[in-house]
Amino acid sequence: MKIKRGVKHDFTLIAILLIPIGVAINFVGAQIVNLLKLPVYLDTMGTALTAMIGGPWIGMATGIFSNLVKSLLNPVSLAFTPVQMAVGLTIGLLSMAGMFTKVWKVLVAAVIVSLATTIVASPIQVLMFGGATGNSSDALVATFLASGQQMWTAVFSTKIINELIDKSICLLIAYFIVIKMSPRYLSKLNYGSIFIKKKAS
Amino acid sequence: MNKIQQFIVNLYPTTKFLIVLFLALSAFITPGYIWSYLVLPICMFLAYLAGCFKEFSNLAIKALLLIVLFIFLLQAFFYPGQEILWQWGIFSVKQEGIQFALSLTSKIVAVASSLLLFFRITKVKDLVSSLEKLGLSPKVTFIFLSTLQIIPEMQKSTHVIMDAQKTRGVETEGKLMTRVKAFVPILSPLVLGSIASTEERVLTLESRAFSAKGNKTSLYQVNKTKHDLKVRILLLILFILLIVWRVLS
Amino acid sequence: MSIISIKNLTYQYPTSEEDVLRDISVEFESGKFYAVIGANGAGKTSLCNAIRGFIPHFYNGELQGDVLIEGRDIREWELGELSTKIGYVFQNPFTQISGVKDTVFDEISFGLENLGVEESEIRSRVADIIQLLEIGHLQEKNPFELSGGQKQRVALASIIVMEPEILVIDEPTSQLDPQSTEAIFSIIELMQKKGKTIILVEHKIELIAEYADYIIVMKDGKAVLQGNADDVLSNEQAIELGCALPQYALFGIEMKENGMDLGTIPLTEKKAISAVQHLLEKRRVTS
Repeated sequence: MKIKRGVKHDFTLIAILLIPIGVAINFVGAQIVNLLKLPVYLDTMGTALTAMIGGPWIGMATGIFSNLVKSLLNPVSLAFTPVQMAVGLTIGLLSMAGMFTKVWKVLVAAVIVSLATTIVASPIQVLMFGGATGNSSDALVATFLASGQQMWTAVFSTKIINELIDKSICLLIAYFIVIKMSPRYLSKLNYGSIFIKKKAS
Repeated sequence: MNKIQQFIVNLYPTTKFLIVLFLALSAFITPGYIWSYLVLPICMFLAYLAGCFKEFSNLAIKALLLIVLFIFLLQAFFYPGQEILWQWGIFSVKQEGIQFALSLTSKIVAVASSLLLFFRITKVKDLVSSLEKLGLSPKVTFIFLSTLQIIPEMQKSTHVIMDAQKTRGVETEGKLMTRVKAFVPILSPLVLGSIASTEERVLTLESRAFSAKGNKTSLYQVNKTKHDLKVRILLLILFILLIVWRVLS
Repeated sequence: MSIISIKNLTYQYPTSEEDVLRDISVEFESGKFYAVIGANGAGKTSLCNAIRGFIPHFYNGELQGDVLIEGRDIREWELGELSTKIGYVFQNPFTQISGVKDTVFDEISFGLENLGVEESEIRSRVADIIQLLEIGHLQEKNPFELSGGQKQRVALASIIVMEPEILVIDEPTSQLDPQSTEAIFSIIELMQKKGKTIILVEHKIELIAEYADYIIVMKDGKAVLQGNADDVLSNEQAIELGCALPQYALFGIEMKENGMDLGTIPLTEKKAISAVQHLLEKRRVTS
C-alpha cells in the first residue's frame, strides 16, 4: 500500500498522540540532564524523535507546542519558536532523505541541523535580544566580542559551537532509541518504514 | 476570594488578552523607556489584585533578570559609541550602549511581563475553550491539554525509573562520564514506554469516537461576564487616548 | 440474521511473517454472550481487532475473506461510525484514559462530547452510568490517580455510556485483583441482562462457564472448536486443544472415567452439587 505523505496526511491519530509525548520528552530529557548535572541542554530530544518517525510536520508541531508550553512559565522563549520549528522541520526532512540510518549519517545530519538552527536563531538573538540569551553561553559571545569580532559573527560562532555539540548528542541518542522501536509500531507511522528496513538487513 | 480578585479571574480569556495586549502595545507607542519599565510593576500590581503576586514575581525574576543583565553587559561594553562613561583597560562602558540596552530591555520586560501576567490569570483550560469557540481545531486542543497532563506523569515516571536504575547499580553521581552513561538507561525506557503506549491509546480514542465526523460538544464552557464588555470599552478608550496623545505631542 | 458474520477470515499484520488469523468463520447473533478462549498468541486479540475494524483500518495489511457488521463489509465502515455500534475495552487499564480530562465524570463524557450529543443529555446519561456502575465515589477524582481496577471500571463506563449494541471486551481482568475482577464481571453481567451482544476474551474459565452462551476456542490463528458453552466445556477434546475446563467439568469427566457417570458434565458448582446428589440418590435407590 502506498503511504500518502504531506501536511494533510501526516496528522494521523497515532502521530497526533506522538506530539504531546515529544513535548514531554523535551522537558523531561532536559530535566534529567539537569539532575545528572551534564554540561549540555538536550531540550530538543523529543522534537528529534517525533520528527524522525513522524516526519517534518509532526516534528515542527512538536517544536511549536514545546515552546508554547515553555512560554507559560517563561514568555521570553516565545520569541524562539521559529528555532524549534526549524529543528523539527529539518530533522523530519533529513529523516525522509534517509539520513538517520547510520551513525556517520547522523553526525552529518547533526551538522546540517546545527547550521539550520543557527541561521534561524542568530537574527532573533541579535535583533530582539541584543545578542544575549540569558544563559551561560552569553559568556562565550562576550569573549568573541572582546576579541574584536562583530556582534553577528560573535553570536553566530557561539551558536554554531553550542549547537554542534548539543545536536550531535541529541540526534545520536534519538537514533539509538528509534532503532530499538518495534517494526510493528514503526509500520504505523508514515515515516517509520525507513527504520524497519535497517532492522531487517 | 475577594471581589476584585473574582472580577479579574472571571473575565473572559480574550478580554484578559486585550488587557495585556494593551499594556504591551503601550510600551511601543510611548516614547522612552520609563513607561515600558513601568509595565512590570503594573503587572505585579494586577497580579497582586488577582491573588498571584508571589508566583508572578518569582517567574518574572527567573525569566527576565539574567537576560536583562546580559543584554546590559554586552551592549554597554560592545555597542559602538564614543561617549565613554567608564574605562578599565581595553574595556569601556559607553553611553550609547547603555541607551540602546535601556530601550531594548524595557520593551522585552514590558512584553514578557504582560504575557506572563496573562498566563498567570488565565487557566489553560479556559484559554483553549475560548479559542475553540473562535474556530481552533479540537485536535489542537487535545494536543495541548494532553501535553499538560503528560508532562507531570512523565516526571513521576522519571523518578521511579531513576530509583530503579540506582538499585540496579547504575551510578547517577560522580565523574562526568559516569553521569553521561547513566543518561540513556534512564531516558530510553521512559521514551520507549510512552511511545509504545500510543498504539493502544489510538484504540482508546477511536473507541471514544474521537475521529467521528461532525461537531463536538464541550461540557466545559467559559462564559463572558457582564463586566467583559465594560472592560473592553474602557481599553478601547484608553487606547484611542494614547494614540491621540502620541500624535499630538 | 447474524449481527456479525465472519466468513473465511484470514489476516496477516504487515510486519509479521505469517498469518495471525486463518480461515475463521463464526456467526454472532444479537443478544448472545460469546467467549473466546485459547492460549496466548492464538489470535484472540486479532480477532477482536478484526471485529472492531482496527484490522484493517488501523493495523493495515490485507484482510482476506469477509467480516460483515450488520451485513455491511468492515472495509466500508469508518472507524468513527463503528464507535457507536461496537464498544471496545481491552487489557491495559493505563492506556484506556483519554488523557485530557481532569475528572472521572468528564472522562466518561468524552465519547459523547465527540459524538456531539447535547450537553444536558450528556450530563444525565453520564450520571445514570455512574449510578448503574456504582462508581459515584470516583466521579470527582482525576482519572490518572485511580488504581488499575478503578481505571478499568471507568474505561468500561466510558464505553457503555455510548450505548453500543455490541461489546468487545478483551481480557479486561488479566491485570486486576480478584475484587476488581468481580466488580468488572458484575458490570458485564448487567450488560448481558440489558440484551447487549457480548464478545469476551477471558482466561478465567469458571467465569466463562457461568456467563457464556457460546464458546470459540482458538489455536494458532484458527477457530479450532466452537459451539454452545455446555458442549464445548464438557468436551474432553478441548483440553487437547490447550483450553482449560472448569474444575467441575473436569470432576465430572473424572467421575465418568472411574465408572461413576453423573449423567451430565456439570460446569458450575451448583450444577455439580445437584448432579452428585442425583447420583447418590440413584445409588441409594438401586442398592
